[in-house]
Amino acid sequence: MKIAKNHQMRKKYTVQLGENELVLKELDLLREDANVYKLIGPVLVKQDLAEANANVGKRIEYISAELKRLDATVQDLEEKQNSKKETILKLQQRIQSLQAGKGKA
Amino acid sequence: MEESGKRGTVTSLASLFPVEEAQKAAKRVEDAIADKRSKLDRVRGFIADNNNLVNLVHKLPEQLSHDIMVPFGKAAFFPGRLIHTNEFLVLLGEGYYVDRTSNQTVEILQRRGKSLDSQVDSLEANIKDLEAEASFFNATASQVAEGLVEIREDYVEEDSNEGESKSGQPREDGPNLGNAVANDGEYARMLAIMDELEKEELAAESGNHSDENDESTGDFDGMSNQGHIDNNLQNSKLKQDSRQRALLDQTNNKIITAELPEKRYHKEDTTNQMNFASLGVQSTAREGENFVESIDPSEKIPVRSKEKPVQSTVTLKTEVRHQTSQPSFDSRKAFTGSIIEHTENIQRPSREQSSVSSQGSGSQSSKPVSRFKMHRR
Repeated sequence: MKIAKNHQMRKKYTVQLGENELVLKELDLLREDANVYKLIGPVLVKQDLAEANANVGKRIEYISAELKRLDATVQDLEEKQNSKKETILKLQQRIQSLQAGKGKA
Repeated sequence: MEESGKRGTVTSLASLFPVEEAQKAAKRVEDAIADKRSKLDRVRGFIADNNNLVNLVHKLPEQLSHDIMVPFGKAAFFPGRLIHTNEFLVLLGEGYYVDRTSNQTVEILQRRGKSLDSQVDSLEANIKDLEAEASFFNATASQVAEGLVEIREDYVEEDSNEGESKSGQPREDGPNLGNAVANDGEYARMLAIMDELEKEELAAESGNHSDENDESTGDFDGMSNQGHIDNNLQNSKLKQDSRQRALLDQTNNKIITAELPEKRYHKEDTTNQMNFASLGVQSTAREGENFVESIDPSEKIPVRSKEKPVQSTVTLKTEVRHQTSQPSFDSRKAFTGSIIEHTENIQRPSREQSSVSSQGSGSQSSKPVSRFKMHRR
């Protein structure tokens, strides 16, 4: 469940990363005097192009870092899952052997 | 998937892959396909929207103002006018908006359309892959249901007779010299398996030819170190291409009759054949004309050697061997060295998969051989 959640988060972040990259590309294509606005809450706030560029760049960085982190946690969780699976399997085998022993006796 | 398992055993496919498992796998892949398809549909919808928007943005600045009904709340409209028809506030994503003219907006939209197109492409490729996988699973399931049996045999390295293993060895030299050290083992194993196959082929097809077979292998023993291979090799290498063209139209019959009266250096013959055979393999890799190439080796021999009818049968046999061994050689590579005997159904998918890689490795194998020649010279 945690893994699934993590995967969802990961997907979300990948989508965001793609979007941000698109934005950055478009911003790069803009001319210096273009008006750039940022939607903050209900209002559009005018922003410098350079500022916007820097912001988007930072955001991409953050998202990439976040993606890496999520990957690490997913791996960790999967390892835990596997170890739990193994213990469960062993327990089941023991139960079976015990029952078999009882049946004979 | 099938490659992982024990060797030298006969397993019914059903024990490896229970019917339900195979069907389950197929089902899962099909679900994935459906998922991708819905995604594809959505992206296609985006593309259509995008195109509509592009058209609209094109049209808007054609007039200074448009009379429209402005939505007001959920259910109410009132008449209004669109003015400043050449000014657009475009959402770039992530809450960033930009003032753009209609033309610039169209550019942005077209760039978006391109990225959507690439998404569609990748999705389609993905679906294709998945479909191939699904068909494979389905085939496996049906085969399991039919109770197919899988035969695996491990090649035992030392059991082959001398001549064969020797014929394998020099060719193995090539990669050792030229190519990386890493895949030596694999290559050697592949060759070994190939030799084994050839041997089986021989044994199967020539009950009465067996003595000639012995003869030829004996020749290898004696010959492999002798010097006169050299000029033959050189000759053959130089003339091979031109002769190939010239002799292409000769029929098999002619070749045989040409060979019959010939023979002098009986021993050299066989080694020549072997070398030529390997050359034949090499050129097959280059040109992909199985039949023509495999005739080649025997075509060369008449020019250099004479006499003895026995010889001709041997040469013919080497031809046959290489003809038959070539295709299986290709398919073998996909299996990384294990022999799997199936009915055709199961080999076909894997062969398809390997077709790309086998081409690559085919051209690879051509290199080592030529290197070997240089080395021997």
